[in-house]
Amino acid sequence: MTTHSYTIVGNDFERAGLASHNVKLLLKKIGVSPEIVRRAIIAAYEAEMNVVIYAQKGTLYFNLSDSMIDIEVIDVGPGIPDIQKALQEGYSTAPDRVRELGFGAGLGLPNMKRSSDIFEIKSTLGKGTRVHMRIFLTQQKTERANSISLRVMEELCNQCRKCLDACPTGAIRLRKGKPEILEHLCIDCVECLQVCKTGAFSVDCRCGILGMREMAELVVPESFLVQFGAGVRPERVIESIKTLGFSDVHIILKWENALCKAVMQYAEEKAKVLPVISPLCPAVGNIIMLRYPSLLRHVAPFLSPFEAISTQFEKRKALFTAICPSQCSAYRWNKSTEKEKVISAGLLYKAVAPIVHGAKKEKTPAPPSARRRARPTFATLNVSGIRHVINVLEQVEDGLFRNLKVLELFACDQGCFGSPLLKENSSIAYYRWISERMATKSPMGQALARTSSLAARSGMRLDADMSKAIEKLGAIDEVTRVLPGKDCGLCGSPTCASFAEDVVLGRAEKIECVYLTREGA
Amino acid sequence: MKLSEIAAKLGARVLTRGPMGAQTAGNAVFDDVEIKRVYAGDKMSDLLNAASSDTIVVTHLNNQQLIRAAELMDIPAICLLHGIVPDDDFIKALGRIGTILMSSPYGMFETCGHLFQFLNL
Repeated sequence: MTTHSYTIVGNDFERAGLASHNVKLLLKKIGVSPEIVRRAIIAAYEAEMNVVIYAQKGTLYFNLSDSMIDIEVIDVGPGIPDIQKALQEGYSTAPDRVRELGFGAGLGLPNMKRSSDIFEIKSTLGKGTRVHMRIFLTQQKTERANSISLRVMEELCNQCRKCLDACPTGAIRLRKGKPEILEHLCIDCVECLQVCKTGAFSVDCRCGILGMREMAELVVPESFLVQFGAGVRPERVIESIKTLGFSDVHIILKWENALCKAVMQYAEEKAKVLPVISPLCPAVGNIIMLRYPSLLRHVAPFLSPFEAISTQFEKRKALFTAICPSQCSAYRWNKSTEKEKVISAGLLYKAVAPIVHGAKKEKTPAPPSARRRARPTFATLNVSGIRHVINVLEQVEDGLFRNLKVLELFACDQGCFGSPLLKENSSIAYYRWISERMATKSPMGQALARTSSLAARSGMRLDADMSKAIEKLGAIDEVTRVLPGKDCGLCGSPTCASFAEDVVLGRAEKIECVYLTREGA
Repeated sequence: MKLSEIAAKLGARVLTRGPMGAQTAGNAVFDDVEIKRVYAGDKMSDLLNAASSDTIVVTHLNNQQLIRAAELMDIPAICLLHGIVPDDDFIKALGRIGTILMSSPYGMFETCGHLFQFLNL
């Protein structure tokens, strides 16, 4: 491991960029791939320029090991009053003389975040700011099992521990007051997002409002169109979206319908095992891979609607609205390094809402209602909400439901209408959609076959070496026995069993259990 | 499209022709660089995002920081506007790092319009 440090002087525009230049030379010397060099340089240069523009002085630490690059920039300066705001694209507090030099686009922090795999920022008003960015040299991020799109904003967490209980797979830990997601257990559902009152969880969509300008077409889920109150018809929402500069708006529903049809046909003609699980919701796919690998052969070999449309429209200048983290991740699985064209539904809402509500409230005549969704009801069971889904999957695993043809499972309540990124109550939104459904001109959706089959995820693996894993299993048992079994969550793990596992795997210390220390004292 | 072709079609004044050494060695670099993308604008962060080794940067900026960005991001060419010729230090610095500098006779809009056509975007 090598560490280098460079001093940065505030307001010295002559020498600004030298530290980044040196970082570049080092990276080139050891032969890091150009794409990684590029990301590291953007991250380092933006951070360096922030010190030059805003702070008195600072230091850039550059740390290189065989698996990652760490860049840390610590400055003495005014600090950032509102980090949330500063992370928004387009927000800048740069003075005019700096803007004249080409800075102050309000893209600095977002650029750093986008360029790094891990991005942390801490700032104290009147003292200074510390930014830490990590870039992995190996392509860890694209590996399927590790690729999740839920992100934690540590600063916003108030340690209420609601997420610990909410997470269906027990993937969240709250150590040292910071929430942490164990990526190998996370299924990208939205339970933590749903319960968090302070908004510490977010979806990592790498395309911001600015990215929208480059795109000509927008793909939205139907649920997005009914978020703007009772009097606002979907048509008006689409008109408002178009004023943002999109020439065409496509609704994912078409692809959903195509998939439903294809899955039904598959269930009737080809399926070897029943019921067939329709791959509508990527998060449900994740939990099957993680917890119910024996059910993988039940999953129909198609891409989810979101994956299908993003594959079909790959070459077009289309922007996709992800309504949840699992869609965002699904997009990433299919396309490895290409520039991402996904925007989060929450962000899009912020852009569209003022236009919709500002538009003249003309009464649009109701169009001839479109054909009802092609969903044969007799042999299909539709289940939504991750807890219900888990319950049903368990029963399927037990061999129940043999007569059923198709299972449509959604992690969110009422399917995509229940995403916490949307504002409207899920049931109301769904009702509004079916009562005001509309015909669209977009081309017919397609169901696309999945080329690489889903593989089981090694979620619980204790050790690569089987004998060591068994040893650890014994150790976990031993720890579990002395724990109170109250699952209080005060230690930061969701249950006593998961705490025992954390202790044995070195993620936690036994003394963190309040009951153990009290009895010991 | 080759950079030399772009400069000729645009009627741009070429101020540096690549690395210092190459200037005497028959403009090898200037003729070789293939341009596929254009970044037009004056925002540094935006430029960092868009720049690559086949991007020509069309900008009003002609300061120290643009030189730095060109160097860091391996930008092959910069096109200034309105026929403006920057000071000697700027030209020399770009010559040193090997970035090709030209100055278009037109403003931003017309220059971009021409480039859009040349590159068949």
